[in-house]
Amino acid sequence: MAEIVMPRLSDSMEEGTIISWMKSVGDEIAVGDEIVEIETDKANMAYEADVAGTLTEILAQEGETLPIGSPIAVIGDPAEGQDAPSAGPVGAGDPPPPPVAKASSGEVPPTPPPAGESAAPDDEAPSQQGERIKASPVARRLAEENDVDLSALAGSGPRGRIVKKDVKKAIKAAGESTPTQQEGVDAAAAGPSLAEAAAPSAEAPETAKGTVTVEELSKLQQVVARRMSESKATAPHFYLQAEIDMSAAVEGRGQLKQLAGEGDVVPSFNDMVVKACALALKEFPRANGSYKDGRFELYSRVNVGVAVAAQDALVVPTVFDADKKGLRQIATETRELASRVREGSITPPELSGGTFTVSNLGMYGVSNFSAVINTPQAGILAVGAITETPVVRNGEITTAHLMGVTLACDHRILYGADGAQFLARIKALLEEPISLAL
Amino acid sequence: MAELRMREALRDAMAEEMRRDESIFVMGEDVGVFQGAFKVTEGLLDEFGERRVRDTPISENTIVGAGVGAAMNGLRPIVELMTVNFSLLALDQIVNHAAAIPYMFNGEAKVPMVIRMPGGGGHQLGPTHSHSFEALYLQVPGLLVACPSTPSDAKGLLKAAIRDDNPVVFIEHESLYGIKGEVADGEGEPLRFGQAAVRREGEDVTVVGILKMAQVAEEAAQVLADEHDVKAEVIDPRTLRPLDLDTILDSVRKTNRAVIVEEGWPHGGVGANLSTLITEQAFDHLDAPVQRVTGADVHMPYSRRLEQAAIPHSEHVVKAALATLEGAI
Repeated sequence: MAEIVMPRLSDSMEEGTIISWMKSVGDEIAVGDEIVEIETDKANMAYEADVAGTLTEILAQEGETLPIGSPIAVIGDPAEGQDAPSAGPVGAGDPPPPPVAKASSGEVPPTPPPAGESAAPDDEAPSQQGERIKASPVARRLAEENDVDLSALAGSGPRGRIVKKDVKKAIKAAGESTPTQQEGVDAAAAGPSLAEAAAPSAEAPETAKGTVTVEELSKLQQVVARRMSESKATAPHFYLQAEIDMSAAVEGRGQLKQLAGEGDVVPSFNDMVVKACALALKEFPRANGSYKDGRFELYSRVNVGVAVAAQDALVVPTVFDADKKGLRQIATETRELASRVREGSITPPELSGGTFTVSNLGMYGVSNFSAVINTPQAGILAVGAITETPVVRNGEITTAHLMGVTLACDHRILYGADGAQFLARIKALLEEPISLAL
Repeated sequence: MAELRMREALRDAMAEEMRRDESIFVMGEDVGVFQGAFKVTEGLLDEFGERRVRDTPISENTIVGAGVGAAMNGLRPIVELMTVNFSLLALDQIVNHAAAIPYMFNGEAKVPMVIRMPGGGGHQLGPTHSHSFEALYLQVPGLLVACPSTPSDAKGLLKAAIRDDNPVVFIEHESLYGIKGEVADGEGEPLRFGQAAVRREGEDVTVVGILKMAQVAEEAAQVLADEHDVKAEVIDPRTLRPLDLDTILDSVRKTNRAVIVEEGWPHGGVGANLSTLITEQAFDHLDAPVQRVTGADVHMPYSRRLEQAAIPHSEHVVKAALATLEGAI
């Protein structure tokens, strides 16, 4: 018998939500069969069985969110499933062994049998249960109603069983540690004055802002919210702005377009930016690193993430080894990744491992903007639109295709002068795009 | 209010009903001249005469069979089996006739009879004379099962049993015949079947006991309160069929814990049944497995010490109650 637990499908995954079961209890499972679709913090993924057998039990229902490592199903071999103790026709064999059993084995019960009756029972196979959390039914119900994570509790009942008291304690503790949430709710329920001031009552949905529609965050949105606040709260950002003359790039791309055959992918300006960043990152190791736990981590691979708006959230698929890939390959990969993001079939591995990020809002006509660093990366390049602008060259007014960019740096690893040189290198590469082809 | 022994309360119930309704008669071994093996029918022969208080031969299946026939033909017999132990000889009449006939005749034939039978152990009567068969009769559809634990309940339930048109197995406990209790003066009212009594209120653990074990449960509750600061709620279902499950479930929803106490054997017992019902219907309210305190899974020993060891006492109930509270107190 094997227990299937909530898998860790991405580096940052802490919990997953069961979207749907693709197999039912009783189904035969082969290794590699997709058995369940799970929503992680990054994507929706089908999880493949790594053991064969019969799906004997589904422990986590669709819609349930569980921490990684929590049991979600049991796969047994077919014989085992039929022999499951609970499947027996009558429980006659299950009740606690009566005292006569002890007596017949030569041991005279020292205390009267009723005591034996009462003391003997209990889960007889705690070890078989594997990682299933032992909790009494009422404890489970209370935990669910109050959003208490049973796996975080220590049970004070027999053999560590979590009992009602343990959950009540946890609810109380949670209420004390997060007064804003818990007590706010309590106050709203109990104290009329506070309630009126703090939260509009159910009878008065109209506020000065009109009717309030409350939306729950998707997993992805939760992650975006958490990561972005973490980034701004922990990584000291500073910003370097530059205008990059993309005239040569515009011209070059025009030529590429003309040369392109039927079905050939023509690299976009953003692909060029990705490539330029990748080449520059190679030369500036700290820009391709992380400040982590008081140290610099410098990475040998250059993996550039490309921010894509999709799924009503922000997703950053990764172009791995972008420094070693040609423009066309980058272009092809980026398009494919973006379309997979939009259809929701992107997988966590394709979303992790980035060492730097490029975010482009130029297509919306934004001339320049500042982005939030995708921590623990050292920086992010925010790319604006390319605009044909009057410029002065050699004392004469002429026009050029200028692109506004802003490099946000984590000052803990990428300092002002380093950041400036890194940005200057990107600028130089893009202004002489032939170097991108090297 | 008068203080009566349970045997007197039972006798009064029969006498009052017999005065009220001429169709009621008593029949059994030694119920007349000898006034009952446990003196429950004392005085009935004198008052109602041989026609209505009939001594029978030692022939349990025949006694019950005659009762079934009388009941089908409009009389309301109260059949006394000297003990539940001998009811085994009458099982065919009880199960295949008394209980099944109303069904087999589509309700057109009724069997309004009461089969009284005292049972229980504790008197060094050995394996064949110490049975507790509540669970056995509880299993049979069509039979009502009463198991009173106080004189007042005994009177009220027996009156109700006599008036009921269904066959009733009325189980009395030999050790309770002598206990005294307050019983309302004069013509008492019948007690409704299917109405449990909450003997003691508490919020920590629900203890359900029947017959003598209802008293043991109360003793245990006192010990739990005095020595362990545990407030046990004690419930006496009084009738097993119909069963007042609601009262028990309400209590379990409050306490989250339950202990069932009975004198009978553990397998397929009253406790096993109740435990299942509680688990099925109040699962999400349980904080610990339901505990059973039952008689030992043995033939009743003759030896006094061994016999006492095979019967539940309050210390076993206390232990079981504390087991449900492990980690919670």
